[in-house]
Amino acid sequence: MLPNSNEIQYLCRGTADFELLPSLPKLTPFSQQACDFLAELSSEIMKNPESRQYPDVITFGFFCRKGNVSRLKEAYQGKIENRLGRGVSFHIAPSNVPINFAYSMVAAFLAGNACIVRASAKPFRQIDLVCECMNRVFAQDRFKSLHDYITVVRYPRSKEINDYFSSLSDVRVIWGGDATISEIRQSPLPPRSIEIAFADRYSIAVFDAKAMCAAENMTQIARDFYNDTYLYDQNACSSPRLIYWLGSEEEAQQASERFWTAIHESLQGKYTVEPVIAVDKYTAACRCAIDLGAEIKPWRDNLISRIRVSHLRADVIDYRCAGGSFFEYAATDLNALRDIITRKYQTISYFGEIKDKIAEFILSNGLSGVDRIVPIGKTADFTLVWDGYDLISQMSRIIDF
Amino acid sequence: MTNLELYNNAFKEAFGVEEADLAGLEYQGIANWDSVGHMNLVSLLEDAFDIMMDTDDIIDFSSYEKGKEILAKYEKTI
Repeated sequence: MLPNSNEIQYLCRGTADFELLPSLPKLTPFSQQACDFLAELSSEIMKNPESRQYPDVITFGFFCRKGNVSRLKEAYQGKIENRLGRGVSFHIAPSNVPINFAYSMVAAFLAGNACIVRASAKPFRQIDLVCECMNRVFAQDRFKSLHDYITVVRYPRSKEINDYFSSLSDVRVIWGGDATISEIRQSPLPPRSIEIAFADRYSIAVFDAKAMCAAENMTQIARDFYNDTYLYDQNACSSPRLIYWLGSEEEAQQASERFWTAIHESLQGKYTVEPVIAVDKYTAACRCAIDLGAEIKPWRDNLISRIRVSHLRADVIDYRCAGGSFFEYAATDLNALRDIITRKYQTISYFGEIKDKIAEFILSNGLSGVDRIVPIGKTADFTLVWDGYDLISQMSRIIDF
Repeated sequence: MTNLELYNNAFKEAFGVEEADLAGLEYQGIANWDSVGHMNLVSLLEDAFDIMMDTDDIIDFSSYEKGKEILAKYEKTI
């Protein structure tokens, strides 16, 4: 029985009775119905004038468009024909990335599963907007029968509700951090069920100093960087914490001034720093000055905290702070990354023609972390392979014959 | 509808512009053709012509005229 049901807010209510979910027919990966539904959802999102205000919502709508889903399906040809979804998937989306719930749901739905999605409890408009679009699509006759497969909810912390949804799950997907993973793991899964957990991870940006000095469109660069960082209060796993300037001391100095001036301009009127975050950032900067001997660049206001270190200590990441706090380091090669990269590092975003150089560095040094190297502005772009997991394969089962 | 009409309609719908504004229109040349508007344009064009555009073509699609060249690759003569 579903406990505390009055604590649950339904943003998209599929089945009226969760107990019936396990007996729903499992879908094949990239089933025609699922692909058609996503194409329709994409149109609904792209046509909605309100979506334009939210680049993350538009990006999600763009991801779901027919052309992209067909392309994704093509990439799985030969790998999905004898598969079915595992059954019921239960998703615990992160509190800080509004649109993440939707990607998690789409991956599980495309793999052939029914989805119960717990969206962030924070009242992000993006979440309601996407759910309103979904509800309009499900209201169409041809998609009514699919609605049982998708439910999106919000609820405050509740072990009882977690217990209940977990007891129905064939797949549980937890988008960290580590504390959330531990908390959700208090709720048992049925014996055959699997779990995919995305733990806390950290990311870095490597910028070619010369390229930054020569860059023509600083407005675009600032917008890209904003989408990587401030859009998620710098709390996403893929948000860079450290800016690694590749170049001489002088070049790095010049490039960073140019870069941060553009960032500062772009933040005006767009981002506000809560007083508590301003205090956290200040405290973090002071700790870095004391413990790491960091140079704290003068603050014009509370928007950007720049912490310049002259060497990268292995534990530098433990001094991190969110909401616009950045370590900076400059060198003419990447060698210092060897000292800090562990499996806790996820994404390197870059600017300049240095992608191959970074990839070669990771591979030739056999580093245990960094799974993705993407251009600035693309850190949050979702792919069906995430954090080293192939989500479609993980969330479906093979019928061997 | 002719291919040209389909093509022009996608621009008009994506950016709220008039037929007369189309010639010479460039990415970031007007406020509505930003990265968000670009995604809108691409999905409208894909729907209108029933094609799947390659990522490189989506990135190279930098003006009203350039777009015609790109669609020619998908055997859509504008």
